[in-house]
Amino acid sequence: MDIDAILLSLKLAFWTMALMLPFGIWAAHKLVKLNKSRPWLEAALALPLVLPPTVLGYYFLVSFGNTSFFGIPLVFSFAGILIASLIVNIPFAIQPIQRAFEAINPEIREAAQVSGLSNWQIFRLIELPLSWRGITGAAALTFAHTLGEFGVVLMVGGAIPGETKTASIAIYDKVQSFDTSGAGSLALVLLGISLVCIALSYGIFGRNPNRRRGIS
Amino acid sequence: MLKVKISQLLPSPLQINLECAPGELHALVGPSGSGKTTVLRTIAGLNKPASGKIECNSEAWFEADGLGNQVQQLPPAERSCGFLFQQYALFPHLTALGNVLIPLQNSGLTSSERKEISIDLLERMGIASLSDRMPHQLSGGQQQRVALARALARQPKALLLDEPFSAIDAPTRQGLYKTLAELRSDLNIPILLVTHDLREADLLADRITVIDQGISLQTAAPQTLFQKPRNSRVAELVGISNMFHGVFDSGKLTWDGCQQVFNVADKGKIPPKARVAWVIPQSGLSVHNGPSNASVPAIVEKMNSLGQIAVIQLRIQDSENTIEWEASSAEVKRLQMEVGCLMHLELDGNQIHIMPLRPINDPRRFQESTIPT
Repeated sequence: MDIDAILLSLKLAFWTMALMLPFGIWAAHKLVKLNKSRPWLEAALALPLVLPPTVLGYYFLVSFGNTSFFGIPLVFSFAGILIASLIVNIPFAIQPIQRAFEAINPEIREAAQVSGLSNWQIFRLIELPLSWRGITGAAALTFAHTLGEFGVVLMVGGAIPGETKTASIAIYDKVQSFDTSGAGSLALVLLGISLVCIALSYGIFGRNPNRRRGIS
Repeated sequence: MLKVKISQLLPSPLQINLECAPGELHALVGPSGSGKTTVLRTIAGLNKPASGKIECNSEAWFEADGLGNQVQQLPPAERSCGFLFQQYALFPHLTALGNVLIPLQNSGLTSSERKEISIDLLERMGIASLSDRMPHQLSGGQQQRVALARALARQPKALLLDEPFSAIDAPTRQGLYKTLAELRSDLNIPILLVTHDLREADLLADRITVIDQGISLQTAAPQTLFQKPRNSRVAELVGISNMFHGVFDSGKLTWDGCQQVFNVADKGKIPPKARVAWVIPQSGLSVHNGPSNASVPAIVEKMNSLGQIAVIQLRIQDSENTIEWEASSAEVKRLQMEVGCLMHLELDGNQIHIMPLRPINDPRRFQESTIPT
């Protein structure tokens, strides 16, 4: 079995999740407070959901070109597939958190305001704990979605073993070379990891704290 | 002293002028959508009016001249007021104690001092034993007590209560009334209570401000308000059943649709031959079997017995005017009253209160609302 490919997939999924979460929380929090420009911004941020991965990959390939990031070339490198993966995962990281922020009763925020809390304190002490389920949901989705990412990674990274050849690309390679048993075992591992990851998020954080406490 | 003078046209008209002294419980009453809650939210800083001034103990919380020149606009967090929400708005992820601790975050006290204050407050509300419960594990009345403790934790300079008892069952409400009455004497801060329940306002408040369509129509002690409403709209809003129309001229009131003329005292504010609305309290009515010089014949139309009290509807003979008379069941029995029988009704002119008939869109209503009582 191609352990390197699985480890690379896990590494990519971990870094994508770790880097996307703070951004997702920040962006979702900002989006909830916007009024007029919100539909356009939401549409732009949701684009990766509907665009074919090859289209996204093509744009990344063209725009990365010969550019490098602190001396690391972006095309056919781990840094390149990480940046691509971050952008592809924007909707998966933002939307669950945004929904969670939206589900908070506005009176709860007002009660925090009249209790003398600053905006940062309201965020830290009230909004963040009440949105916990959305945040873990976003983390699980981003992680699992990155594990299964194929088109964009292939376009930007190619299939360099240990550098850009993730598990899903390794499966494709194996199928191309008629190694069906190798492809099958890799696919099963990927399926297992994804399932465990989603189930963990559902099982541990499955109950909606707002609904359970009768405020949503 | 909390002084509020605010006005705006949009998004909803608001023309409010009220003052609430320390230790005073001041009720804002009015029909749904009249702007009572908006007034409270504006004082707390959750809504921003176009112009006016809100000050508490001589500290300006808001000041703007309506021309876009904002002199002062303190954010809600910096206005030291306790706010009680209709649906409690407890933080659902924190225990009762956690909820009360939140307003003490920026108090500069140590965590043990904060905890001590919070437990003290919960004890005062009679729910110290429930301090570890989550809000969803508490009943409505208990949740409102936690909310009240939270509102008081910051030692507010004013307490704002937005229909705090409307979602609570009647027996629990009685307990909360008692707690509020006790608090009121202890705290000595202005307390504003928004309610649509006149009985509640009458029971709890020192003064009542009647609000209609965003405009404060009258501020007065409950008794004054029920006996001497400033105009017919106030009389309608406070639910006075015996309100009639007539013409007032040099001390004499002619009842519309009747021949009756009453001698009525007036402060000289009503112009001659003006059409007026008038009310008479129950104490100004008496019913007899036989006629007298001052009585008018009236026919018993309806009799509703409510235990010890009976409400009798009498129609003045040869007119469309009906009047409601409340009497003890014993009195009704003594008069041998039955539906359809003829009685003689006396109205005490000294207790008749006349008031101007102001159409709802009369711009003078705006001026009127600024006259202090």
